Amino acid sequence: MLEFFSYDLRKRLKGSVYLTVGMSLLTTMMIWVYPSFGDTFEGDELLEAYPPELVQLFDIRTIGSLEGFLAFELYVFGWVILLGLYFAYSAASIIAEDIDRGRMDALLAMPVSRARLLGEKFAALLLPIGLVNVVVPPVVIVGARLIDEPISVADVVAVHLLSIPYLFACAGIGILASVLFDRVSVAQRVALGVTFALFLSESVLTGTAYEAVGAIAPMRYYDPNAVLLDSSWDVIGAGILIGLTAGLLLASGAWFRRKDL
Amino acid sequence: MDSMAAIEIDGLSKDYGSVLANDSLELRVEDGEIFGYLGPNGAGKTTTIRMLLGFIKPTSGTARVLGHDIRDEKALIEAKREIGYLSDEPGFDEQATGTEILDLHASVKGDSRSDELLELFDPPLDRTIREYSRGNVQKLGLVTTFMHDPELVILDEPTSGLDPLMKQRFAEFLRSERDSGVTIFFSSHILSEVRRLCDRVGIIRQGRLVTVEPIETLLMKSGKTVRLSSRTPIPDDLLAIDGISDLETSSPGGTESGAAGSDDGFTECAFTFTGDINELVRTLPEQDLLDCSIEEAPLEDVFMQFYGGESDA
Repeated sequence: MLEFFSYDLRKRLKGSVYLTVGMSLLTTMMIWVYPSFGDTFEGDELLEAYPPELVQLFDIRTIGSLEGFLAFELYVFGWVILLGLYFAYSAASIIAEDIDRGRMDALLAMPVSRARLLGEKFAALLLPIGLVNVVVPPVVIVGARLIDEPISVADVVAVHLLSIPYLFACAGIGILASVLFDRVSVAQRVALGVTFALFLSESVLTGTAYEAVGAIAPMRYYDPNAVLLDSSWDVIGAGILIGLTAGLLLASGAWFRRKDL
Repeated sequence: MDSMAAIEIDGLSKDYGSVLANDSLELRVEDGEIFGYLGPNGAGKTTTIRMLLGFIKPTSGTARVLGHDIRDEKALIEAKREIGYLSDEPGFDEQATGTEILDLHASVKGDSRSDELLELFDPPLDRTIREYSRGNVQKLGLVTTFMHDPELVILDEPTSGLDPLMKQRFAEFLRSERDSGVTIFFSSHILSEVRRLCDRVGIIRQGRLVTVEPIETLLMKSGKTVRLSSRTPIPDDLLAIDGISDLETSSPGGTESGAAGSDDGFTECAFTFTGDINELVRTLPEQDLLDCSIEEAPLEDVFMQFYGGESDA
């Protein structure tokens, strides 16, 4: 057991390190620019100049504190959007790429069920998702100390911990696209499109009569603002995201098992 | 039920709507034989093989490999522990090295003989698959196919990409595998390869199995190509014995004809002979021959019998 999981872990190691270094640099930059940002604009002066649509789209509450600034610049933008899209895209290639490049036959000629192959390859996303969420919190905490804006360690840990089910749910969208389409480029584009559309549906439709549409969007169940500004940890939301991931994974497995390759 | 065969195909069909890729195939591949599955590209060979391995599902009918029903995923996985498979275009993770690919295969299905196989087929293990030539991918594929010492080996066009020396080495290897009890099922559209290797062949054409015969029977049915050259004219009626077809005659005088000769007979002829060779030889001593050759008909001609449409077996 777990041979494909460990093979994929090794395969993902380099990419995971690059991703983590990149996100750490982005984090460092955000924290580094914050003091000059805060000095130039009093409170939410800058935010008031933003178009209200943009404020709603990115769910910006305040940039008058480091917590609010990071919640928007780093977590909503970097985690919810960038990483969410990245993992949907990355998961979209898991099955489709092997089929597209004619490698699936050699894998399935081995004594392994399709469900197990899919499950183990999906689980290997634990490496990039885990690594980036283990390395970046210390960067945030130490960085905040260095600019004399101490930030709650518990909240930073929580905002990362709660992002893990969120990112897996986005990857779930990707893996479903990966079994539905044989061409990896199509699967990746569909995964990106759907994930971004869900993000828009959740943020743009909030407060309208169509708010319910956003209920299937993973973004509804992960709110960095609430964690960092109110210390409110949405554990139920995390549970829903885990359920959503499991559902997407089961649906992908069922489809993959029935599919002609 | 009689004793279990390595592969038992029972009414297997695959309908793609626009194409009936496999039409009610019936076939048994016995334990310990080399079975050649012959047909031109697009005849449905790969479809059959991919159904046997569970990659695609039959529209109707089924098959058993090593006694396990291919429609039952669990049973088929059990069977795959004892099956080696090489696809017509083997593909491996381009970023991995040959060693990493072999390690993965070894960890999943076991490895009792890769060292010995790597001496025969020597892909550059330290390089990444991206840098492999087609032939090297094929060699790596052969190692992954046989490394767990399978009972049944299914090969889809196995010699494509191999150079002549490697082809010969591969043929010897397959025969020794067969001699140690391995069942080998391989598809091909290259006839010379089949006659070198196979015990029996099945010919598939447009999704239908046209004939299944021992290779000797097929060669016998296809007959011999006989060429005669005589000093004195051969009378037409001399060759009025059974089993002569495609007779072509000519005379140095310049009279040429297709089917029958001129009134005086002919001095040179070529024909396909499927009758009793003794009878043919008995008729010849009366002639003052310059030359006589009796050769096995090229398998291409045999093939044409089944593809040409003139003769349906």
